[in-house]
Amino acid sequence: MKNKNIILSRLVALFLMISLSSCHDKLDEQEGQLNTGDLDYTDTEEMINPLIGAYHEFATRGWEEPLLLGVRGDDVNAGGLGDQQQFADTDRYNYSRDYWMYNSLWNVHYNDIINMNTAILQIENFQEFAEGNDIERGDQYIAEIMVLRAWFHFNLARVWEDVFIITSNQPEAEIEEGPSSKAEVMQFISEQMDLAIPNLPDARPNERTDVPGGVTQYTAYAIKALAEQELENYQAVADATGEIINSGKFSLYPDFYQLFKKPGELSDESLLEMQYSDYGSGTGDDAFYGEFDVFGPENWTPVRENASPGWGFYEPSIKFIEFMLDRDETVRLETSVLFTDRGINELREAGNTDLPAFVSNVTPSGDIINDFSRALFSSGKHYLPSVQLTDQRNRYSAGKNMIVIRYAEILLMYAEAVTRGASATAIPADEAVNMVRERADLQPVSGVTSEDVMDEKFAELAMEWGIRYYDMIRLDNYGELSYGGRTFSAEDEYLPYPQAQVDALPLEATAVDRNTVMNKVLFELN
Amino acid sequence: MKLKLLAIVAILFSSIGYAQESRTITGTIMDPQEMPLPGAEVKVIDKNIFDVTDFDGNFTLEGVVTGDKFRVTFLGFQAQEFTVGETNDYIITLQEDAATLDEVVVVGYGTQKKADLTGSIVTVNSEEIERTPTTNVMQSLQGKVSGVQITSVGSPGDSPNVRVRGLGTYTDATNVLYVVDGALYNNIDFLNTKDIKSLNVLKDASSSAIYGVRAANGVIIIETKSGRLNQKPQFEYDGYTGIQRAQDVVKMANAEQFTTMAYESGSEADVQYILNAMQRFGRSRVNPNVPAVNTDWYEEILRDALIQSHSIGVSGGGENVAYSVGANFISQEGILDMKNEYERFNIRSKIDIDVSDRFTIGVNNVFSNATKYDPENAAWFNAYFAVPILPVMDEQNTAASPVRYANAQLLGYRHTQNPFPVMRYNENRLKIRKLLSTIDLQFDIIEDKLDIKTTYSHNFSALEERYLDLPYTLGNNQQTISGITRENNTFSNQYWDNVLTYEDTFGDHDLTLMAGTSFRDEASNEFEATGRDIAGIRLESSRYLNFADPDSFNNNVGEIGRRYYGMSYFGRLSYNYKDRYLLYGTFRADGSSKFTRDPWGYFPSVGLGWVLSEENFLSDSNFVDFLKLRASWGKLGNDNVAASAGSNTIEVITTTIGDQPRTGITSTSVFSNNTWEVIEERNFGIDVETFDNRLSLTADYYIRETQDAILPVYIPIVNRSVDRNSGTIRNQGLELSANWNGTIGDDFNFSIGANFTTLKNEATQIDDESGYIDSGSAEFRQRTMEGGPLFGFYGYERVGVYQNQAQIDADPVAVENNLVPGDLIYRDQNGDNVIDDQDRVILGSFLPDFTYGGNIAMNYKAFDFSLSFYGQGGNQILNRRRGEIIYTQDTNMDADLAINRWHGEGTSNKYPSSAGMRKAWNQRLSNFWVEDGDFFRIQNIQLGYTIEQESLPLIRVYMTAERPFSFFDYNGFTAEVPDGVDRQTYPIPSVYTVGLNVKF
Repeated sequence: MKNKNIILSRLVALFLMISLSSCHDKLDEQEGQLNTGDLDYTDTEEMINPLIGAYHEFATRGWEEPLLLGVRGDDVNAGGLGDQQQFADTDRYNYSRDYWMYNSLWNVHYNDIINMNTAILQIENFQEFAEGNDIERGDQYIAEIMVLRAWFHFNLARVWEDVFIITSNQPEAEIEEGPSSKAEVMQFISEQMDLAIPNLPDARPNERTDVPGGVTQYTAYAIKALAEQELENYQAVADATGEIINSGKFSLYPDFYQLFKKPGELSDESLLEMQYSDYGSGTGDDAFYGEFDVFGPENWTPVRENASPGWGFYEPSIKFIEFMLDRDETVRLETSVLFTDRGINELREAGNTDLPAFVSNVTPSGDIINDFSRALFSSGKHYLPSVQLTDQRNRYSAGKNMIVIRYAEILLMYAEAVTRGASATAIPADEAVNMVRERADLQPVSGVTSEDVMDEKFAELAMEWGIRYYDMIRLDNYGELSYGGRTFSAEDEYLPYPQAQVDALPLEATAVDRNTVMNKVLFELN
Repeated sequence: MKLKLLAIVAILFSSIGYAQESRTITGTIMDPQEMPLPGAEVKVIDKNIFDVTDFDGNFTLEGVVTGDKFRVTFLGFQAQEFTVGETNDYIITLQEDAATLDEVVVVGYGTQKKADLTGSIVTVNSEEIERTPTTNVMQSLQGKVSGVQITSVGSPGDSPNVRVRGLGTYTDATNVLYVVDGALYNNIDFLNTKDIKSLNVLKDASSSAIYGVRAANGVIIIETKSGRLNQKPQFEYDGYTGIQRAQDVVKMANAEQFTTMAYESGSEADVQYILNAMQRFGRSRVNPNVPAVNTDWYEEILRDALIQSHSIGVSGGGENVAYSVGANFISQEGILDMKNEYERFNIRSKIDIDVSDRFTIGVNNVFSNATKYDPENAAWFNAYFAVPILPVMDEQNTAASPVRYANAQLLGYRHTQNPFPVMRYNENRLKIRKLLSTIDLQFDIIEDKLDIKTTYSHNFSALEERYLDLPYTLGNNQQTISGITRENNTFSNQYWDNVLTYEDTFGDHDLTLMAGTSFRDEASNEFEATGRDIAGIRLESSRYLNFADPDSFNNNVGEIGRRYYGMSYFGRLSYNYKDRYLLYGTFRADGSSKFTRDPWGYFPSVGLGWVLSEENFLSDSNFVDFLKLRASWGKLGNDNVAASAGSNTIEVITTTIGDQPRTGITSTSVFSNNTWEVIEERNFGIDVETFDNRLSLTADYYIRETQDAILPVYIPIVNRSVDRNSGTIRNQGLELSANWNGTIGDDFNFSIGANFTTLKNEATQIDDESGYIDSGSAEFRQRTMEGGPLFGFYGYERVGVYQNQAQIDADPVAVENNLVPGDLIYRDQNGDNVIDDQDRVILGSFLPDFTYGGNIAMNYKAFDFSLSFYGQGGNQILNRRRGEIIYTQDTNMDADLAINRWHGEGTSNKYPSSAGMRKAWNQRLSNFWVEDGDFFRIQNIQLGYTIEQESLPLIRVYMTAERPFSFFDYNGFTAEVPDGVDRQTYPIPSVYTVGLNVKF
């Protein structure tokens, strides 16, 4: 009996030992997670994937981003009264660093810069295994991403003045360096474009077949020109824009109204465009949409039933409309503004008794804009007629692209630079302005001055990305910004750093004395 | 070799011989109702003479001499000692166990005498938990165990939040480990209260360290009921039915108050909406300046809800087999007036087989089949901000179909607001099926001394979720198309434990040694798919993805699986010398496949006890019946955190390029390389029994420190938080509990219990340059600072409201910020005469500083009565519903805020004016939004009557009121908010039931 037990216990022990040691090996197994190490970098066919990802990030914008970038100009007011009070405060130059929109714009932009940097690293990983043409192709992709990255830096510096330049995806060291001045950021952008241009295709974005609508040399020239314009380095602006004009590849899309609708997508005018679509399919979650709801009127009677209205947060100003009426603008006013009866009454009460017939609450496409409390008008440049929506898709302006940089802006930047004393590198300034006016059904002018060009920019580019506002603060033209009861002064030019960022950034940044606003803020914190 | 040695030692000690005149005695053991107790153990102390009572409760002891002492033990009864006297026949009545020291307590992988414990373990028996009408057994523990905080949930079928000794981790992994008959669970929503024999809460690290890496958040060992050998079958039915009703419903501003607020806000648009409402719905007859509609949205969405439960079971045993089988049906409706309910059907069986004298087999199966319809919690939030001037239905809204629900957009508001569409047009069904299946084999290698037990258990869960969107339109071009989202999850967890236990007594020495291994294989699989535009969605028979538009599956199908392995070795020593000096130690080595850097963790623990009452200088004391001092130390791990991501992770995306979908990849650039959190805990305790064991007191003080705490370190610019082992968190507190059992006369006995717990939660170290970790959103910041609590609300301290212009003019801060009367005054913490970000402070924590509970139970003749209460204090709640005004200013608010707003000098020193609520200055996080969460509640009242007659089965009828009264100041439904952020917390209802219990 005893013996039997001992044998049995030994058997049990042996069994346990064998089975337990096999259990042990299981500790090294991992399941259920996709890592970058799982990518096959030797397959250069896949090298384009990080680039497509970068375009995806570029087009993925929060609804507050274009709103906050654009609202402070005299072309547009914050709609949404009673809602988003601090957005309205921002429009009136009363800033609160606690406001979530500021923090979000900062975060989302910087996060995308990091994503761009990571995408570049991914492409470099592919390049290590690539040969010949594939290496060059990788260089082109990297150059494209550098252009997108520059656009994010450009926006940040325009809004906050001194910001961080980030070119890595582990930015601790660059954060330690502290922020750069606005001029340094613009200089950096310009130099980055010089690096990118040789590697980019010599084509119009819509000529590209590999990535239709992707970045080309001319996109880089455009960003370079924008950066140089901020530096008031007008000769460099004329040089860069001259390259675009002289290429002969670009022309204005003839129908100003449809330029901002589906027919005008990826036109010969477009230099940089965020692309969205539902591919004409009524269902499926692969539809990729821009955030246009915020721009739309809150109440309408669409031609296509069940098309959703918008939020009414972006209201063209009466100042802008009166400016356009005074110039006898037709197609550009009709395109830029969606009128309501309430808004039209306001205009009449303000003394504009003789309104042209197109000033009505029915759009050229037949949608009726009903009165709504938040705003008097809505932006027509962010409006897709309901009849252009895909069947069963109801979201406001669903599937419409968002133009970021277009040839008309290039022409006017060129004209401004020349009128400010730069030597003409392409056509005369008059010709550039008249090309824009011609499409707007306006008579040609001659001997244009800088003021004429600024007026033309106001009329042509209103509601687009805050172009008007940044022009005015570049020129210190605070008078134009002091309208509708507002008073603008120099200290209103830039937004305060978001509180969350002041809290989060390491105080070591103060160790580097670069006399920046951010460092001042951080210093005060200490 | 070792085994042999042990055997020799055992034999040496057990067969100490002697020669004296010996004889045989017999006896019968009975319970207080004079029913014989079969299976009771009778053992002569210090001798190897032993018997177990037979079916009629009889025993025989051979070879005893006068003066020998023998001890009678039986689980659930107080053990007693007797001295052999002149008689040879003994009739012994055992008293039922109230809180006796010979009680056996379940510890990890074994049992231990309560008197021998050196750690902090609380046992809750079935009768204490059965009073609570609930679908989840943990709910019934609320307020009963010091050091365990239970936060109730209102939604049927959901599990309450359970915290043992504070919050030791920053991660979401705060789950207590439940060990149900040896199998490990994070959630015990499948168990029926009636099936549980006992819950043992292992509070300190020394008690729970045997569970190593799973024990970080505390361990609760649950035993289900089993039968006994030689027991007559006992049938039991228990059932109750009742209603649940929302308590402390938040009073919202009515149409008149809302209109006043809108006019005072200074916003023209808001006034316009009021006018729109009057135009659409007419004017009030009482006050023609107010719209005729006055909707109380909370009243509209609430309902009285039913609850019922029925359990039947039978347990018993024969010579070799003991069994306990049962079934339970429970159903509970939610108080939200939509398809919101929970229904569960359980069957279980537990069978223990004595195959031979030395070999036993146990099988245990619990199968639970539940269907849960989850609420749309957004309805709570919508009901808060929906304007009272909007009706539920609007016959003029002809564009709304199939039901003409009102739409606030038609009045001009941005959102549709009406909570009914989400309630009526959504259905969230979860089918939850769980199976626990265990088999164990136990073999006595050396009888009564050395045994080996191997247990295999498999717990398998299948979660079938179906989320239904019914199509509807709501006017103003609001249209939702139909859709179905399916999520099928399966979890298959297997455990294989082997435990070798050696127990022996020699002389004054009492020794238990245990060694074991545990292998874990935990696998899960999740499948998810969404289809839209379902043909025939109105019919239940068409609610399958097959009827969806095939195109709609694009980007809408996903599957992922995970499998983690764990391997552990553990051992335990417990030693007691003369019942005076106690030593306890455990060790566990845990390996986990989750951690690539170092899969192995080692978790030791040690405990010491000194029973002073056994010492000579106290043993004669009439006052002190029992006195023990305890001290323990132990280490635990927490592997319930995200597995290391050893490299960058990538995501496949689809975007539009040239009007075509194109796929690409995006990748994240931050990664973690984590190891487990280690919890180190010291515990000091004292147990006292006095007044003839009627009063028992227990006190414990603990310091529990989480080292290598995983904290989300925020990386600015990257705008991402990375989990890194980068801090130390400390919880410390005092736990007191006292119980008194008394009897007055023959018919009346009572017991009173109370417990009190303090908690100090603190991050003692943060390895980040900033010295803090932020969480919450930027607008509602929660900050964990060195020296502060976890997730402390971080903002400005409101000291009052500016009352008049003179006060404004006198305050440079007010002048600087263009403030007006009706704006909040903040404390200038650093005294620099500027209110800025440096004046922010920790406003409090959602963790209570103290909790307390108590109960009174009385029996008088056939009546029994019990009452329990529970309370907490020192915690803060962020009233996030009110805070929504930051994002949307034109919506409704609660009546307290509307009535007590500042609207003229002296009207309020608490809330800003209506216009002020829309100003950034007043919207900063301050204790305007953060409120005290103290509450006191009558937890449970039960009155029962027992009918005991020869001819009838034992019948008890009872009435229960669960949570009938609560007292708190917080402006919400309930001061119980699990994470302290009250945005759409489901209200906790009161429950009133009547029940019936029949035994035969």
